[in-house]
Amino acid sequence: MNMIKDLTIRPKVKQIRKSPQYSFEEDLNKPLSRQMVKEILSTSTDVVFREFFLQGKERISCMLAAIDGMVDKNQLDQFILKPLMVDLAGHPEMAQLTIANVLDKTIQSILPGLELKKISKMGEALDAILSGDAVIFFGESIEALVFGARGWANRGVAEPITESIVKGPREGFSETLRINTSLLRRKIKHPSLRMISLKLGNLTNTDIVVTYIEKVARPDIVAEVFRRLGTIKMDSMLGNGYIEEMIEDNPYSPFPQIAFTERPDVLAGKLLEGKVGIIVDGTPIVLSVPATLTQFLNVNEDYYQRAMVAILGRFIRYLGFFLALLAPSIYIAVTTVHQEIIPTDLLMSISAGQQGVPFPALLEALIMTIVLEILQEAGLRLPKPIGSTIGIVGALVIGDAAVKASLVSPLMVIVIGLTAIASYAIPTFDLGLAVRIIRFPFMLLAGSLGFFGISVGLYMLTIHLLTLRSFGVPYLSPIAPLRIRALLQDTFVRAPWWALKRRPQLLDVEEPQSGGKGKG
Amino acid sequence: MTLGSAVLMGGTFVLIASGVTVASGRDGWMTVLPGFAVGIPYGLMVLSVLLQYPNKNLLQISEILFGKWIGKIIGMIYILITGYYGGLLVAMLGNMYRTIMPLTPLWVFYLGELLLVLYLLGSGIEVFARFSEVVFPVIVIALALNIVLAIPQIEQGELLPILSEGITPLFFGVLKVMPFPMIYILFLAGISSFLPTSKQDLGQLKTGVWRAVFLVGILNMMVVLIQILVFGPRETIRLGNGILVLGKSIEISRTVSGIESLFMGVWLGAMVIKITACSFMVSWGIETVFNLKGLKWNLIVGAVFLGIAFGFTRGPYMLKEVSLVEGYLMFPLTSVWIPILWGVSRWKKGAGNQ
Repeated sequence: MNMIKDLTIRPKVKQIRKSPQYSFEEDLNKPLSRQMVKEILSTSTDVVFREFFLQGKERISCMLAAIDGMVDKNQLDQFILKPLMVDLAGHPEMAQLTIANVLDKTIQSILPGLELKKISKMGEALDAILSGDAVIFFGESIEALVFGARGWANRGVAEPITESIVKGPREGFSETLRINTSLLRRKIKHPSLRMISLKLGNLTNTDIVVTYIEKVARPDIVAEVFRRLGTIKMDSMLGNGYIEEMIEDNPYSPFPQIAFTERPDVLAGKLLEGKVGIIVDGTPIVLSVPATLTQFLNVNEDYYQRAMVAILGRFIRYLGFFLALLAPSIYIAVTTVHQEIIPTDLLMSISAGQQGVPFPALLEALIMTIVLEILQEAGLRLPKPIGSTIGIVGALVIGDAAVKASLVSPLMVIVIGLTAIASYAIPTFDLGLAVRIIRFPFMLLAGSLGFFGISVGLYMLTIHLLTLRSFGVPYLSPIAPLRIRALLQDTFVRAPWWALKRRPQLLDVEEPQSGGKGKG
Repeated sequence: MTLGSAVLMGGTFVLIASGVTVASGRDGWMTVLPGFAVGIPYGLMVLSVLLQYPNKNLLQISEILFGKWIGKIIGMIYILITGYYGGLLVAMLGNMYRTIMPLTPLWVFYLGELLLVLYLLGSGIEVFARFSEVVFPVIVIALALNIVLAIPQIEQGELLPILSEGITPLFFGVLKVMPFPMIYILFLAGISSFLPTSKQDLGQLKTGVWRAVFLVGILNMMVVLIQILVFGPRETIRLGNGILVLGKSIEISRTVSGIESLFMGVWLGAMVIKITACSFMVSWGIETVFNLKGLKWNLIVGAVFLGIAFGFTRGPYMLKEVSLVEGYLMFPLTSVWIPILWGVSRWKKGAGNQ
């Protein structure tokens, strides 16, 4: 009886001291209250409150609030506490200080910081402290000072992981917004480069910067970017992926409609073409809009190499794109429905390879493709030291063993291997993912309806791509609508720099001339 | 221009050789371009009427000029002819695919075609125009490849003697070809409400009509010529779908053969464009005459096409039915309606100026 009673007794939970009732929407605009700030933030042990006083004409009680780990303590010591507590002591200026004039005097003649501003609202104070700045309160004044002293640990500028290059700059964006904006400023040293800040995420208050070049970017696209960002109402904004899904034109399409990059030179190039960039604090990935399909198959290396080399590279990438999409389907269609196309010798060879394999070509292809997808996914998730072994396990062990066990034919392993390699030729990860998704329906169509099925699938895909737009720009530009100049300049081929005199036609930018005069 | 060329081309290259060779023998290839060129004055008449009545299609203009009920009767005839023709084209494409995939049920081909047609119809005229921009160059390249790869099989002497039967058969050949561009004129009559109406744009549209007719005319002429050179006049007459047989007979390096399966994907695109044009015409007609539009009516149009296709599954008779519709329904409608409409609009313009 006592045991049952014991089981039914609920343990008492230690009461956690609650913060005062705080409404995000209403209290942010209230006048600043030092006491309220302390009450709201004191439950977090990483928030530091340093109280001191100044003995001026009257005794002024001061408080410095900052977050340990986000603020540069050395700056606080050297440029706030030392000037106020040590240098000012005994100074004639100290005798003039009152609560009414202490803020102005501090800004004008006491503190030497570059970023020093007055604030008077609760939201501003909380935002500054939570962003890594220090806030100095003077008495019970409804105004305070924000001192820019951010100094958290960061990764610094390193080579991008996803965009390797042989010939060109090696710096990449990092997780810190100001580092990223400074990297971009170093590429475009022109006053028309605009950087407009805003915050997204009700709880995360993530800093976002929208950047474009005035007179080059189309005003309607810029306005549309701001409009769409303004419609985002979320608690969290932890990375670019959140923004991407919220602002893209067709979120149900597997094709990416917003480009991304980790490289400042690539972003600068896109801005110079009239596009708009979106830099998100906390992620090294920067978004750019609008985006078209052909841009996902171009790489920045094209612009650092000679034109002929770039043309060859693009041809290989486009070939890789089509092979990655259609190679298994064509093989299935040819071996299942349209054997009349295959020369007799090759047909005999294929037939010999398929001897003993219990599955039809479609099922073989599906099994091998699924195994390939699993291997690829596993390779991404494994730690780096182990990740390289996946290639050996997948290719040698599984592939070879499957052939020897007559589960798949050797030619199928070659086709799937070729497909995998071709998909790695697609430079953009998002587009590669789209191809991996669409490959499956194509295989099913090829297995059941041969080339008719592939044709229907291709036409359906084409129609879908034709219906897509990225911020008003047709996704298949400059193929449809046809823009001959853009097609010849920088789509399937890259014209030499001395021939690229005008900005991309597809965006109809305000100032079309871009220079490009050269060759003597 | 690309949309017009694609609609004008459609699947004309499939049937044209047999038809003109029946009428004009080995000189039939000479009649193709003049036959297509007959479409030019009709096209210019349509654009001329558009200048007077901007942002309206010719069915709406007919109601304005001829009165509501005559306009509606013309609209009904327009719907019935284009709808019937569209259904026949669905059947024709299914029959074409049956030649390379004989064990696949016909309804599979019909459903595949209609899926594409309905997707295009639902996506709108802009997407349809861009689809033509993408597919039409591929059609041209495929036709050119077909012609070039068939050159090794040319039998010299099939073309000679030129004009061996005189000039008179050429007139019959031109009469045979004249119905082919009429579907393009009917499409132009329906799409005119979407066309720009400034003088400069209309000038460009008129140039586009010339270019479309000449481009498609020359391509079809080459197709007929190569079939006569490869098969000879008698065999060309006997073969209903000569271009398909041409694809079958192509051999590359004596190893790869029977590649008509690859070309069929391109012909599918060409026919889908024409069928979609017919479905747009029907939907515009329904919208103008009955004031009905939307997804439901698009699906009904698709269902009607499917029903007509199932009603005509016999190969040679179906091809003959297509020729009869072109020659005895489409051509008379266009030949009578467009000139009269143009004439009345000019007269009214003249009367208005006075």
